[in-house]
Amino acid sequence: MSRKTILLTVIVLAAMTGGVFICKQFNRRNPDLSNLKPAYVVQADELIKEFSNNDSSANLKYLGKIVSVEGKIKKIDRDQDGYYTVVLGDSTELSSVRCALDSTHMKDAAKLRPISSVRVKGYFTGFEKDETGLVGSDLKLNRCVIEKQNK
Amino acid sequence: MRGITSLIAVTLFSTGLFAQDKFYTKIGKISFYSEAIIENIEAHNRSVTCVLDTKTGNIQFAVQIKGFEFEKALMQEHFNENYLESDKYPRAIFKGQIVNNGDINYTQDGVSQGKVKGQLTIHGQTRDVEVNGKLTIQGNRILISSDFNIELPDYKIKNEKLQNISNKIKITVDCSLEPLKS
Repeated sequence: MSRKTILLTVIVLAAMTGGVFICKQFNRRNPDLSNLKPAYVVQADELIKEFSNNDSSANLKYLGKIVSVEGKIKKIDRDQDGYYTVVLGDSTELSSVRCALDSTHMKDAAKLRPISSVRVKGYFTGFEKDETGLVGSDLKLNRCVIEKQNK
Repeated sequence: MRGITSLIAVTLFSTGLFAQDKFYTKIGKISFYSEAIIENIEAHNRSVTCVLDTKTGNIQFAVQIKGFEFEKALMQEHFNENYLESDKYPRAIFKGQIVNNGDINYTQDGVSQGKVKGQLTIHGQTRDVEVNGKLTIQGNRILISSDFNIELPDYKIKNEKLQNISNKIKITVDCSLEPLKS
């Protein structure tokens, strides 16, 4: 094999590998959080307290991270398209941790029972401070998966 | 006499005269759509907070930027890091008022057109906006839907880096509000 042929083969192989990599990157989906390790594991009440004490430092700590939150189910919301949000926290308080379930894990919502304790893992999307004084502040997670449910 | 008073009370209650003034949701949906050279861009946020005071017509929406979900992870990363800078500007807020609130009958099922004027804050930039929307009264719920366009330069969202998306973004709002129990 001549030097020219070897060089050409290397260039073609490199271009093909690069092409496959770019294609894979371009079409990459958000990963299912079931198999990913959380950056933090916290109790819902503690998380709410952390944000009410100092929301800017808590935001720096949690924003964009995978977080596992354990707490009592206050209620389970279902939107007009059938998507579920599990709401955790103290039912006597307005503030909550709101966990929007991943669309591929919607069937897990059927197994949940209000008042029971649950651990949910999700991607922390932010703190919604209540400026109206009517609806309570919320900590929001999406792409959530149910890790475990206690009785 | 007592019976008549009770009857009046029940009638007033059922016709909505004693109905709640404030309605809200925390599972509202806001989507956006943009045409792009390689592939059109679409994302949804299903955790929108909206509060409406039917007495005054004051209305407020709040959304977490990181809560927008894209079909493709790379698009979502570019959206958060290069365009909306969501670590720096994590929320978008709209505060406004339904200017024709007096024309809307909240006590009877039906569809009304609403004109909303207010201020929209995205990417740390606040602009005056005027938007038309539809309010559907359905039992004890109010369905709000609207679509409107925004221009990226108005909110100082840089499109120079990739220049592969349109400056015009279509926003769609879809919220089902329930009475706020005090």
